[in-house]
Amino acid sequence: MIDEDLAFYALKIAGGLGASYAEARIHVNRELAIMMRNGRIIGSGIDYRRGIGVRVIVNGALGFSATNKLDKESIKQAVEKAVSIAKVSSKLLKKPITFAPARLGHANYRVLPRKSFDNMSLDEKINYLETLWKNAGEAVEKAKLPAFFTSYHENVEEKFIVNSDGGEVYSVIPRIGLFYNLVVMDPGKGSVQRWEQLGSSGGLEWLDEWRLHETLPRDIRVYEKILYEAVEPPRDKVDVVVGSEIVGLIVHESCGHPSEADRILGREAAQAGMSFIKPGMIGERIGSVHVTVIDDPTIPGGYGFYLYDDETVPARPKYLYYKGLINEHLHNRWTASIYGVESNGSARAMDYRSEPIIRMSNTYFKPGTYSLEELIEDIHRGVYMKTYMEWNIDDERWSQRYIGLEAYLIENGEIKGLVRNPVLELTTKSFYSSIDAVGKDLKFYAGTCGKGEPAQGVPVWFGGPSVRIRNIRLGVAPK
Amino acid sequence: MKREELLGIARKILDKAVKKGYEEVMVLVRDTRESMLKIANSEPSVAQYWDMLSIELYLVKNKRIIVAGLEPSSIDELDKPLKELLSIAVRIEESPLYAPLPEPARTEPLTGIYDPGIEEALSNPGELGELVVEAAHREGIDRLAGMIDLKITGKALVTSKGGEYYEEATMMESYLRAFADPDGSGQWSTCSRRLDKGKLVEAAGIAARYAVDSRNRISVEPGVYDIVFSPMIMGNLVATITRMASAFMVYMGMSMFMKHRPGDRVASESFTLIDDPRLAELPGSTSFDDEGVPTRRKPVIEKGVFKTLLHNTRTAAKMGGETTGNAGWIMPHPWNLVVPPGEASLEELIGEVRKGLLINNNWYTRLQNSVEGVFSTITRDALFLIENGEIKAPVKKIRVAYTFPNLLQNIELIGRKQYDVKWWEIPWPTRIPYILVRKVHTSKHTA
Repeated sequence: MIDEDLAFYALKIAGGLGASYAEARIHVNRELAIMMRNGRIIGSGIDYRRGIGVRVIVNGALGFSATNKLDKESIKQAVEKAVSIAKVSSKLLKKPITFAPARLGHANYRVLPRKSFDNMSLDEKINYLETLWKNAGEAVEKAKLPAFFTSYHENVEEKFIVNSDGGEVYSVIPRIGLFYNLVVMDPGKGSVQRWEQLGSSGGLEWLDEWRLHETLPRDIRVYEKILYEAVEPPRDKVDVVVGSEIVGLIVHESCGHPSEADRILGREAAQAGMSFIKPGMIGERIGSVHVTVIDDPTIPGGYGFYLYDDETVPARPKYLYYKGLINEHLHNRWTASIYGVESNGSARAMDYRSEPIIRMSNTYFKPGTYSLEELIEDIHRGVYMKTYMEWNIDDERWSQRYIGLEAYLIENGEIKGLVRNPVLELTTKSFYSSIDAVGKDLKFYAGTCGKGEPAQGVPVWFGGPSVRIRNIRLGVAPK
Repeated sequence: MKREELLGIARKILDKAVKKGYEEVMVLVRDTRESMLKIANSEPSVAQYWDMLSIELYLVKNKRIIVAGLEPSSIDELDKPLKELLSIAVRIEESPLYAPLPEPARTEPLTGIYDPGIEEALSNPGELGELVVEAAHREGIDRLAGMIDLKITGKALVTSKGGEYYEEATMMESYLRAFADPDGSGQWSTCSRRLDKGKLVEAAGIAARYAVDSRNRISVEPGVYDIVFSPMIMGNLVATITRMASAFMVYMGMSMFMKHRPGDRVASESFTLIDDPRLAELPGSTSFDDEGVPTRRKPVIEKGVFKTLLHNTRTAAKMGGETTGNAGWIMPHPWNLVVPPGEASLEELIGEVRKGLLINNNWYTRLQNSVEGVFSTITRDALFLIENGEIKAPVKKIRVAYTFPNLLQNIELIGRKQYDVKWWEIPWPTRIPYILVRKVHTSKHTA
């Protein structure tokens, strides 16, 4: 239960202390986790965090303060701190911080799971994890499965936000998550490691959707085959079908992140870095006409689902790249004010301890019309990279690298045997410019995206269909 | 809050949990005040302040383990979660990681971990911001970004075995990234238990000089290079390796140490890596771990030989051996990492390189396979080409794409000056010099 009066109280104190803007957010995160290794529960835990975060603008400087001591005196002190440290830091300020005018929400919403967490007993949830272990263990034939770790998470995020510009939003969002890590090993052949995070807003209905108990054995048989059968990827230039899972990650890393306006303006320069996108680049070409990337917080079930951001601005889809052009950035009210636009509702805070900053939500590559077979059929020689493990991208989001895990050779329009650890290492512009066909197999993947200081991990989806890129030289992972 | 107040809260919660029927209980209460100034474009982007009381519970019922992190407004508010957790405990199975709580032990208090200067500076981080901005701009940079973080933490631990522990400590951490147009940048960090303006100014100066010196970068082809790693990038790589030395990571199947036993040679003889919680100057220092076990200095790798995984009581019981005083109730972790110095100056390290690179900083280290230690990481900030023992030119970004076993084996020379570093990519305070590694594989985009 959130005591909304405490948030109004904080706002009143801030107003009395001369803040030109004030915002109070009572934010509660509850989580249950169960961890299992090789079929045995090693522990379970709950995490219950709740407190108030207060943000103010004083003398043009931004101050943020948070406390979990939810009595009036502690809240008053927290507001006083936010105001006083903003004041003292304002002496260094060159340009005052302002927020763009915005149409703010006055709303109350709640995500209702189709199957609530209570629909399964704890025993049944544990049984499900045991089934995963059993199915995984039965899948290996020659190799060993020395470690199979799973964790199950259910959490509920509840918050009430009010600000001095009239915004007032209450929301409740439940989320479910599964994580696993496995190692398939043969002492003579080495090992293959795979981990994956699954997550959605909603409830237990997602276990039925993911069907991990069915997909895992099939995947593990592939990992075993990689150990025994995979060959070196081709070293000459080839066509590459980049699988949906990798496309999802690529758009998150090389479209979503560089489109964050705070990053473009240098606010995250010492942390998450800068962006190859500079002010004034809206309308410049970044890829082929097949490239449209959207960030949409309003997708039902999205791990990054929300209807109002943490500045109470209504959420909407943002077309970051549109038909190959840099089209729109992710904004909060501060960056919107600098760009002379309206905020598009991209401010999120991980918990009460965190200031709202610009974040992605559910970011995806707009699907096309090709089936996977059609993407492959006219490739003379190529590689289909379906999944990955290692990846990274530079801090301007330009040079990126993905190493395929499940990856196949393509010859004369047909998928052949497995190739081991092909490396796709290319620039953002090369990737998007090389795309000549886009699949219709849109799928979303879950992640916890990190940004800010102190670092904030927020749930996001990233997705895409498989796409075809032409004439790429693949690398090989080090041994 | 002071010692008796925090211990009092912890005791009351412990009593409550025992009365509810838990057989073994640990309660860890932390009271934290913290302020942070974030800087971008040489001005403050936000000033932040936290005042928080957090409660962590470790509960055992019939060898079932439950951990909880709670933030109640009163101790009575804990009745409900304690009851709920009991209902979970009776329904899960006995944990293979169960081990009895350690007996209470006498801990040797650390001196020098509390500095009243931090308390005074907590309300005005702006003054320190001014100091670093000025120091960096003296070197002729165009912009500075970064943060300065000040913290006071009181932590109280009580256990149902009768152990009671308390420690109050302060810390200062900062990292700074300087930019010099058109393309120069440098990043450095520092950390301390004390308010140390000298260290802040030094970090700002190093970041700024790297920025100025790395302007007008040229491209180099990827290949095999001898690389002089700065404490920033080596701190990140060493942290990644040490994370895998946590017994829990081995247990989960996420560690290159799955393939090794203590006594195995895993690195060149010149390399030693120590976890040193007794090093009071670094902000990871503590006299007791989260189980109340007295902490001690221990090598993870000594003269190239793998010495020990990092254990808590449970991982030690499960995997053999004794706790190393590194709890984490679930995941053991290091406190402060130290790579002891060698004898070479930075100039001498560079002088040893015929064709190679000097790397200031990196980020985004990811593994294709933890068990095999296959990784890559991408440079950010200053990067220089070295030819015939001299720095020739600043160069554009490149990846180190290699394996940790090879990297460790190819360590050649250790610098003599250590730096105290910690930032986003270095999660534990680390005291480490510049290090020369031979024949490192690098990589770059092909299109």
